[in-house]
Amino acid sequence: MTHLRRYWLESLAVVVVAGSVARSFTVEADVVQGDVQRIMYVHVPSAWLAFLAFVVTMIGSVAWLRTRNRRWDRLAASSAEIGVVFTGLAILAGMIWARPVWGQFWTWEPRLVTTALLFFVYLGYLALRRAVIDPVQRAQRAAIMGIVAAVQIPIVYYSVDWWRSLHQASSRNSIDTPLRITLLLGVLAFTFVYAAILRRRLELARLEEELEVKRFEASPDVAGAGITAPSLARALQRD
Amino acid sequence: MNANSLVSLENVGLRIGNTLILRQAKFELEPGEKVGLLGPNGSGKTTLLRIIATLLRPTSGSGVVLGAELGTDAVYDVRHRIVMVGHLPGLYPELTLGENTRFVARLTGHPVDVADEALAMVGLAGASARRADQSSKGMLRRAELARALIIEPSLLLLDEAHAGLDAEAIGLVDGIAHQVVTAGGAVVLVSHEPDRLNVDRSVQITDGTLEAAS
Amino acid sequence: MTFWRQVYEIARKDLQVESRTAEVALMTAPFGAAALIMIPLAIGTDAPLLSDLGPGLYWIVVLLFGILVILRKSAVDGGPQRDLVRLLGIDPAARFAGATIATSLLVLLFEVALGPVLVALYNPDLRGWPWLFLILPLVAVGMGLLGTIAGGVTTSLGTRTSLTPLLVVPLALPLLLGATQAFEGLQLGGSIVPWLVLLVSVDLALAVSGVLASGPMEEAVT
Repeated sequence: MTHLRRYWLESLAVVVVAGSVARSFTVEADVVQGDVQRIMYVHVPSAWLAFLAFVVTMIGSVAWLRTRNRRWDRLAASSAEIGVVFTGLAILAGMIWARPVWGQFWTWEPRLVTTALLFFVYLGYLALRRAVIDPVQRAQRAAIMGIVAAVQIPIVYYSVDWWRSLHQASSRNSIDTPLRITLLLGVLAFTFVYAAILRRRLELARLEEELEVKRFEASPDVAGAGITAPSLARALQRD
Repeated sequence: MNANSLVSLENVGLRIGNTLILRQAKFELEPGEKVGLLGPNGSGKTTLLRIIATLLRPTSGSGVVLGAELGTDAVYDVRHRIVMVGHLPGLYPELTLGENTRFVARLTGHPVDVADEALAMVGLAGASARRADQSSKGMLRRAELARALIIEPSLLLLDEAHAGLDAEAIGLVDGIAHQVVTAGGAVVLVSHEPDRLNVDRSVQITDGTLEAAS
Repeated sequence: MTFWRQVYEIARKDLQVESRTAEVALMTAPFGAAALIMIPLAIGTDAPLLSDLGPGLYWIVVLLFGILVILRKSAVDGGPQRDLVRLLGIDPAARFAGATIATSLLVLLFEVALGPVLVALYNPDLRGWPWLFLILPLVAVGMGLLGTIAGGVTTSLGTRTSLTPLLVVPLALPLLLGATQAFEGLQLGGSIVPWLVLLVSVDLALAVSGVLASGPMEEAVT
């Protein structure tokens, strides 16, 4: 019972994912695309998560700038790490879906293009974090970039949507109710998976910081401690 | 803490990443004081100076500089009363010494001939048209001291105060410091040459910890 | 000293430093021109094809090579120079605005320098060309804003020259689309107002973000 209480979110995620997988394979396939259409139940929820994770990163970034509480920076960073994985998954699933259906790996559909650009935005955000050693500076710089990017992403989406509407008719077809229910179940399942992974990643980040603080307090690396009088000077004096 | 203190630091510490640079620094600076900051390489002298200049936010402790609490937006209102001459020149290499000084004059609301007068007072009138990246270290330091003459700061902070200066120019440092303290301001000088410092008292920093030296 | 006077002085100083190095005029612009010359060697020199693709290729070169304008030496203040500007009591927003104006003007210079190269090599349809007096500056301002923000968060980082392009390019897509679609709209005789509105929206969103982030950006670099 203790394990269930401790892992309640993961348990819930497993249940919902199991239900979603079962539904994905048992619901009738699209009459035009056939069974390959089922990959939509991975592609669309992944893309949804990619954007959700980025919104959470933005929320963490704003909260850090307002409070300078490290837990908000941990939230922003953890969500970005998870987001980049799901963004990659969304792109991959989209390409696997596109090839048999449209004969090419890439369709220039606005959501796919925006997801691809979001992938690079994530990579840039994580690369920025990696490049800064001091945790406070890292949090500050990353927070600024997280917010600026979040403001720009909707503009990116609408600009691609406009462009696409001029060059090609919208490929957004209506979905029958059974397929729509399966899709929503998939979105719910992925959201629980995201929440479960995020919770674990946040705990790991918190423990890493606590360990760092304990190590530091036990034997702090003092800036000038390693500097002594040069031995060459002493040798020259003796001579 | 004395309410009239220009600088008051209480248990101020600075940690960057996993490196502790300054710890529990207690420091007071009164109007009219000249204080020397001594210590070996890597002891935290420049860090302390930058905290006093409000350029670094301490990671622990608290402090007030010219009435502004460190780490708050109030520091924006007092920075223009501080001049810090660091051990690396704060000049734009591609601009001439005259252009650099006039830039400071214009941004502090002074007419540009004040800049030219200041350069003349530090002995650089004839080098005004020389680019900063073609000037010697001593010339750059003199040009930076000209900045103190233009701004007339309440707080003058000099890192490696006499580095690169010839005998004539060392007197310049003392002269400018004297002007600042006479006007009710204060001066902090970092130096590796305690014998050359003309100060009221000195503070020693070792491994990020402050103690009175004399 | 007023806010706008501070903006003017910062922009003037940046442009003065750039005039001494002439990096954009003598290095970046020729590099961009060389790219425009090399592209047809890779995709074919068929005149109608180049006339069609020319404007799009021009904007891609402006976007990708314009990053070098953002990375120029005169855009980078060293630690002592940053300390100087902070201690002079300059409003961080003024510093941001001044740096953006300088970078935008230099990107505009870059665009203008490449213009004759585009016309000479690609012979594009320039119907409605007076609208370029609006399109070029709007794109330049967008690049200037993005560049100053990205430059601000990558200041003093060793990987700055690689990281800044990665931060700028994905977010510059609306600028690319706005410029290319406006150009195409002119050639087809259609309305380009929506694309101009897009460019203005991007610039406004970046300007507001940048001004609000200017204080935290300054405090993030010590």
